[in-house]
Amino acid sequence: MLRALIWKELIALSRDLHGLAALFLMPLIFIVVMSMALKDVYSPPLASLPYALDLRDDGPAAKALAARWAERRGQPLLLTRNWQAELKSGQLKYVLIIETGFGQALHELKAPEEPRLRLLAEPGMEPALFQGSVAELMAILGEARARSLATRFLGTVPSGVADLGRFVSGERFEMRQHPTSVQHNVPAWLIFGMFFVVSAMAGLFVQERDSGTLARLASLGVPNAVQITAKAVPYLLVNGVQALLMLAVGIWLMPLMGGQGLSLAGVDLAALGLMIVATSCAAVALALAVASFVRTHGQASAVGPLVNVLMAATGGIMVPTFVMPPVMQQIAAASPMNWALSGMLDVLLRGAGPQTVWPHAWPLFLFALLTLVVAALRFPRRVRA
Amino acid sequence: MLEVRGLGYRYPRATAAALDGLSLVAERGSILGLLGPNGAGKTTFISHLAGWLPVTQGEILVDGQPLSVVRRRQPTRIAVAPQEYAFYAALTVRENLECFAACARLAGERKRNRVADCLAFAQLERFADTRASDLSGGLKRRLNFALALLPEPELVLFDEPTVGVDPQSRAFLLESVQALARRGVAVVYTTHYMEEIEAIADRALIIDHGRVLREGSLPDLLAQRAARLRLHVEGMDPVVLVELLSRFGAASAQHGDAVVELGPEASPAGVLQAVEAAGGQVRQADFGRGNLGELFMALTQRSLRD
Repeated sequence: MLRALIWKELIALSRDLHGLAALFLMPLIFIVVMSMALKDVYSPPLASLPYALDLRDDGPAAKALAARWAERRGQPLLLTRNWQAELKSGQLKYVLIIETGFGQALHELKAPEEPRLRLLAEPGMEPALFQGSVAELMAILGEARARSLATRFLGTVPSGVADLGRFVSGERFEMRQHPTSVQHNVPAWLIFGMFFVVSAMAGLFVQERDSGTLARLASLGVPNAVQITAKAVPYLLVNGVQALLMLAVGIWLMPLMGGQGLSLAGVDLAALGLMIVATSCAAVALALAVASFVRTHGQASAVGPLVNVLMAATGGIMVPTFVMPPVMQQIAAASPMNWALSGMLDVLLRGAGPQTVWPHAWPLFLFALLTLVVAALRFPRRVRA
Repeated sequence: MLEVRGLGYRYPRATAAALDGLSLVAERGSILGLLGPNGAGKTTFISHLAGWLPVTQGEILVDGQPLSVVRRRQPTRIAVAPQEYAFYAALTVRENLECFAACARLAGERKRNRVADCLAFAQLERFADTRASDLSGGLKRRLNFALALLPEPELVLFDEPTVGVDPQSRAFLLESVQALARRGVAVVYTTHYMEEIEAIADRALIIDHGRVLREGSLPDLLAQRAARLRLHVEGMDPVVLVELLSRFGAASAQHGDAVVELGPEASPAGVLQAVEAAGGQVRQADFGRGNLGELFMALTQRSLRD
């Protein structure tokens, strides 16, 4: 009985091209598009940002600083007469102005009255990129000032005195690989896609209730538990196929499209499997619960995507949680998609094992259990409706 | 086979009872026609038989056992053929039959035989590998019909099984229902088409507002209207005509016709003679057989239902 109903569901799914497209193609397209679109957020092309240099001090210190900047950020474009307009329109990302008296100020112990170095950025420049550029400029200036003062007071520049880079070390702790847009987008949109079964199942329930097939099965004595299980199992399988497909896209398709590839080297596959199963259980159980509440096709086609998009928006799928303000981060922590994403990122970025991701997995299993109970309690009403 | 005694049911928050002391009997090998306007309580009764609603007032017995016990032990003894196309549109005819056969706990050789028998019974063999969504309305009705018969039920309740089919398919379905009864199956048949009940039912039951208004064998029910003479007369004022007919029994004008319930002493020939003598020309006369539709309308009134 159960096998026949599961088989029927799989046959029906395989013949529903629109449904398959929604379940598989939609998250796949999201992964490709979002990964390509957000590629530069994770690795900004600093060296290729178009900028101009306004060298108002023609002393050697100013020229040396300009050269040092060009080493790191590429050669500047020609400063035109209407550079302000170019900056405002974004043609120039920024203009670096080295004011007159820069070299003199570098030698003085006292800080200048007015800044001698100015970085004017275009209005739309990303805050992190802007702040990073200013910080980098200050670091170069720091080195130049250390050299200048050492020369003035010591007559020489002792080895290492201006080598600020040796004072500071920045690295990601036990990083398996660089975080990339693919690294974030594959798990994020995979989770989104897995929860897309909410819409599919809600629509399916309405259709089967309206057609009387749910009632016919009930009149044949098919227990509610069998009916619910027969719906859940095929969609758990669908989630599994989605996961394999999305990972494959990240690993093989993205590099072919010029993006960065997803690497599973060093990933604990058991932990990855645990997170996929936990996410799938939560998604399918939520789908069953929502399906047991909706009454019409209109409700099914509205409620499913609404639940999905709300959870994705608040759960860090559409916007990474770390860029959210504290209040939104607290809200995100209440979204099952966020639990799933945190666990997946732990597995993919931090090489976490099953025990490490269990704190992310068990809330998903608990959520699945609770929503399944709701679905089981509501299901008989749906059959009678 | 099936005995319903004083069945009552009121939906939550409803002001009136959907079923109010409904009683009926359905025997093996016979067809019970169930008639009632919208809102009469037919769907509520079907929902009880199908096990979708609990029996809260009265009782439903199957061979003397409570329905709940029978449904728990052998749910497939009773089948409901719903009005909707209750099958999977994406599956073929055969796949649907196999799926529902498995759900009816049929397996192995018996399952294969039942699928083949039902395909043959509903004459669907040629369409076995056609997707249900691609079937015509008549074929969909036949598939719906075949699915109900898969587990060889002892009682089948058909809920308006001929809605929206062509005359040929309707005739086929009606013959199939009769064939089913001849095999010893108890059939309860609900419809809004009076002529279908007249054509196949052994007994009929007219219900409204959850109560039985009239119940009996079809000849008995039709005989109740056998003394009615309906005339279409030209050349006479309708008021004068009704006055004339009143001498023979209770007379009235209905839809351009004059109708008289003949008294014990009156004969149709006497009425016709009197009308012609009064200068009327009888263009049409109807006497000697009752009409279920008229009985139904008389009992359930003409007011529109929700």
